[in-house]
Amino acid sequence: MEPALTQPKPFCIIKNLHILFHGKPVLQDINLTLTDCGITVLVGASGSGKTTFLRALNRLNEYYPGYSASGQIELALSGTMENIYQTDLQVTELRRRVGMVFQSPNVLPVSIAQNINLPLKLVTGLDRKKREERLVEVLQEVHLWNEVKDRLKTKASHLSGGQQQRLCLARVLALQPKILLLDEPTASLDFKASGRIEELLLELQHRYRIIAVSHSLRQARRIAGQILVMKEGRIEHLLKKDQFENSEMLQQLLEEFL
Amino acid sequence: MRKLFDIFIYSWVWISTLAVFSTVICLLWFLLSRGLPTFGKELFFGQASVWEAITGQVRVWDALWPACVGTLSLVFLAALMAVPLGISSGIYLACFAENPFKRILSLSVELLAGTPSIIMGLFGFALILFLRNTFFPDANTSLLLAASCLALLILPYLIFTTQAALESLTDEYRLIGPSLGLSQLQTIFHIFLPASGRGILGGVILSLGRAAEDTAVIMLTGVIANAGLPHGLFGKFEALPFRIFYLAAEYQTPAELNSAYGTALVLLCLTGLLYGGALALHKTLEWQWNQH
Repeated sequence: MEPALTQPKPFCIIKNLHILFHGKPVLQDINLTLTDCGITVLVGASGSGKTTFLRALNRLNEYYPGYSASGQIELALSGTMENIYQTDLQVTELRRRVGMVFQSPNVLPVSIAQNINLPLKLVTGLDRKKREERLVEVLQEVHLWNEVKDRLKTKASHLSGGQQQRLCLARVLALQPKILLLDEPTASLDFKASGRIEELLLELQHRYRIIAVSHSLRQARRIAGQILVMKEGRIEHLLKKDQFENSEMLQQLLEEFL
Repeated sequence: MRKLFDIFIYSWVWISTLAVFSTVICLLWFLLSRGLPTFGKELFFGQASVWEAITGQVRVWDALWPACVGTLSLVFLAALMAVPLGISSGIYLACFAENPFKRILSLSVELLAGTPSIIMGLFGFALILFLRNTFFPDANTSLLLAASCLALLILPYLIFTTQAALESLTDEYRLIGPSLGLSQLQTIFHIFLPASGRGILGGVILSLGRAAEDTAVIMLTGVIANAGLPHGLFGKFEALPFRIFYLAAEYQTPAELNSAYGTALVLLCLTGLLYGGALALHKTLEWQWNQH
């Protein structure tokens, strides 16, 4: 096969990454280069280290007791690649630029507007007018604006699950991240709401680099530009689009899962 | 058999709840029936005119007004000292402390919680004796001393409830702050504390009530029966619970005993008022949290 004329640029380079909790290895010997080719979807059995892998990228694992790690992760956060463990980049700034959305929507127990406004104010210190502009922008970006524009002051917990998850996404987008980490973002949603989130992600992939964990191979196939298969704390495969569109390969994967 | 057991448990739970409820009702009814008839200007201000008594122009004898002011100042001062200290310690224990230090600290707070209030009073009394013999020969039991000892008494409630409220937040909730790039302090003050407001408020209410009703501590640290309005931080004072104790122990006419019930009712209302105040404060803070 002819090499492509322009190689896609890498945005994530991981070398010899090991992560342990209380001395027990959770991720082992991860060496990986991710390039821009759509959404990267992580699949694997539960306990295979998907969430830990995701949290390694915004250093959220450090929040848990017994954490230790070795290795190196470089991410494209501004123009150049930065080693996230070694640069003078503050961990709070790293987490702003590498946004994360969780499995079940975790809105703050405040109003819809304040859910976006509060972190925005604390992290960026923008003035009120700019914050309000950004609020409208991101709510439009996640297609929530029309649904909530008349009730921005009502409690966010009154929204449906899917709406809450989109609000969480908007909350992250308001901080203008470079990379989005999504930890099974549709796991707690019904079929229809999942579909809307998937559509949204396909839109957002042109503006952000997205790495998502998925619990379903079908979903991975629908949204992924590349699929990472994890097993027992290691990366088993990195599949490109042409590989997983082939149903035989997928069949093999399915067997591996089961 | 299984079904019989279920019925037993079910009725037992019902009976227990009913017992508590009816006890409270009986207590209230008893207090109201004995205390309410004594309510009136006489109970609060004795022979003095209301305005002159409130502004402190005349001394009020054999009435509740000085004790009301005394208890209110006592609770206010104790809360002023204990609430910031207790909530901060709770935050430290929940968010920063690590074992084994955390265990030692928790144990000492438990020890403090288990200390009978009379011991706190004795401690305050001994402190004054020590001060008299050393640096301040003029030191004496006073409002400030009593409030300090009360603060010590209610501190564990505040620490425990704050710690418990913070520790009961879910893991998912805890991750919101850090995942958005908030610093640890921002996370604690803007994400954790508001969400645990209700629990912390519960602790504040409990401790205010405790401070208002305690008699053992103040008996050894500055309360006297006829002090009049509190004379500043270093003066003696009157207090409602002590007045109840005093009236009930040394009454000479049935009317005096009844006025003890009246006093008890006032104390109950006062505590209710404090609860209301704390609740209003919580509502204001919650409202503020929702503002842009």
